[in-house]
Amino acid sequence: MNNNEALMICRCEEVTYGRLFATAKEHQCTSRELKLRTRAGMGFCGGRTCRVMVDRIIESIVPNTGEGEIPLKYQPPIRPVTFGTAGEKND
Amino acid sequence: MIDVIVIGAGPAGLAGAITCAEYGLKVTVIDEFVRPGGRLIGQLHQEPSGEWWNGIKESTRMHNEAQKLSVDIRCGVSVYNLEKDKDCWNVHTNIGTLIAPYVLVATGAAEFPIPVPGWTLPGVMSIGAAQVMTNVHRVEVGKKGIIIGANILAFAILNELQIAGINVEHIVLPEKSPLSQKAGEPEEVLKSLLNAAHLAPSPILRLGSRFMRNRGFRKLGMKFYPKSGVKVNGTPLQLRKAALEILGKDQVEGVLTAEIDVNGNVIKGTEKIYEADFVCIAGGLYPLAELTAVAGCPFQYVPELGGHVPLHSEKMETPLEGLFVAGNITGIESGKIAMAQGTTAGISIAKHAGKGSTDINKKLEQALKNVHAVRQNAAIQFNPEIANGRRKIYELWEDLYGKEQDSLKEIG
Amino acid sequence: MTRIIDHPVLGKLDDRKKIPFTFDGKVYEAFETETIAAALLANGVRTLRVHEESGTPRGFYCNIGHCMECRVNVNGQANIRACLTVVKENMVVERGKQHPNIVKRMVENL
Repeated sequence: MNNNEALMICRCEEVTYGRLFATAKEHQCTSRELKLRTRAGMGFCGGRTCRVMVDRIIESIVPNTGEGEIPLKYQPPIRPVTFGTAGEKND
Repeated sequence: MIDVIVIGAGPAGLAGAITCAEYGLKVTVIDEFVRPGGRLIGQLHQEPSGEWWNGIKESTRMHNEAQKLSVDIRCGVSVYNLEKDKDCWNVHTNIGTLIAPYVLVATGAAEFPIPVPGWTLPGVMSIGAAQVMTNVHRVEVGKKGIIIGANILAFAILNELQIAGINVEHIVLPEKSPLSQKAGEPEEVLKSLLNAAHLAPSPILRLGSRFMRNRGFRKLGMKFYPKSGVKVNGTPLQLRKAALEILGKDQVEGVLTAEIDVNGNVIKGTEKIYEADFVCIAGGLYPLAELTAVAGCPFQYVPELGGHVPLHSEKMETPLEGLFVAGNITGIESGKIAMAQGTTAGISIAKHAGKGSTDINKKLEQALKNVHAVRQNAAIQFNPEIANGRRKIYELWEDLYGKEQDSLKEIG
Repeated sequence: MTRIIDHPVLGKLDDRKKIPFTFDGKVYEAFETETIAAALLANGVRTLRVHEESGTPRGFYCNIGHCMECRVNVNGQANIRACLTVVKENMVVERGKQHPNIVKRMVENL
């Protein structure tokens, strides 16, 4: 089989397949917990690029995880915003 | 005072905006891309009839129609949050907060990749990125390229690249793994391509595909599939080759490949490097529903629709009052379906806003029938299970909210 | 990379005004309405930034504003997506750089 240890899954936080695989295996966790432990999905793109892969890794490791169970959550702001814009008073 | 804010100026958003404006509503459309049209403006293909589906022409037509109806279209606007405040929706953007009682979220789809070692190198891009660079920006993506991932989206865009004179030297599969799943298995890939077989550029491929529908023939076909691949308008489709790694120091220089057996397993000793200065990864599409999520809309996972979709009715309503959806956010399908759904959403919004005359229900029924008709006549089906997916989500809506509406009708 | 001026189906591009802009101190030419990412690619430039931690080179990936890989510094403003920003005359663009991580160095040297 292939050696995907160093394969980058989360480009933003540079989290590798090896790290995600090992963490998921050790903690038998949900996608959300995997995100909190490794930072995969918490980078600049908000998980837009890697979320499907993170879910697939959990599905392949944690038994009885169906497809699409408990997806990564979305938290605003979902686009980069400056303090100026966010702090503006909108009366 | 804005009546309707449409997020996304693609086919669904523009169709929705036009329809709302036709009913006398004041509409503002916002989109974060540099020009309107969404992903429609990158599309270019020939239908079996010989007619060209030209996304730029279609989008320009809709843009002009919208402008004639005084729809305000603003590009370069990014939405970072969507929340309800009493009776109005607050759309928080980089140009300030827009407020309206009705919002149509038509944000389309996003691409998910199949990671390959070396995929972060400059020169590696999503297949959609190549489409946009070629047909929208009219800039060559490179001199010599390789596509990793053989699905219908990859083929549609390969064709667009070839028409534009871009040199794509190979299409290969990603390596089989829990990440690539069926995309790395030759037999599964062939099965999924049969949905577009009638569009195949050569009579031999079309004839051959008739035999490939039989599993036995498919296995035989895979066993004797030529190593050099079968050419698709000059580009070899190599179903028995997998990409192991993308090579290069500061940018793409080549791709390391190996032959694979009928099950997708790498055959040791067959490694070969193909030179390239660009690589396109074709994973798949999923509904980009993040805004409906932050707005608090409930979701349902429906694989036939491409992933998690916001809960919605056939009339494009969501459980949140004043919030509507249309287009690929409801499930991955074509630009024509997106337009038909956009029109449906527009009529739904007008009805909720008390616009239109006594025949608005009839207009709504016609719009729903039109979506079905468009689906029946579709030339390319990304997903043959799409009708099942649609049925699932509409039935779920009926189960959860259908009875409420029926009993309200009885009371009222 | 060359620009696809003539296209068998989409037709010939209208003549556009040429706009000068700088990227990392070097002057390049864009055509009016081109995005920073497209203009740089047309000039053979693929690397738009390096990863803030590791320093690995990055270019655009999705080209439609989703992946955030193409973020550059425009006229002093950081984290602007090159694929969503149209080039304006004399725009000053700089690639995203690697950030020194003082705390990390301290911890490593403990």
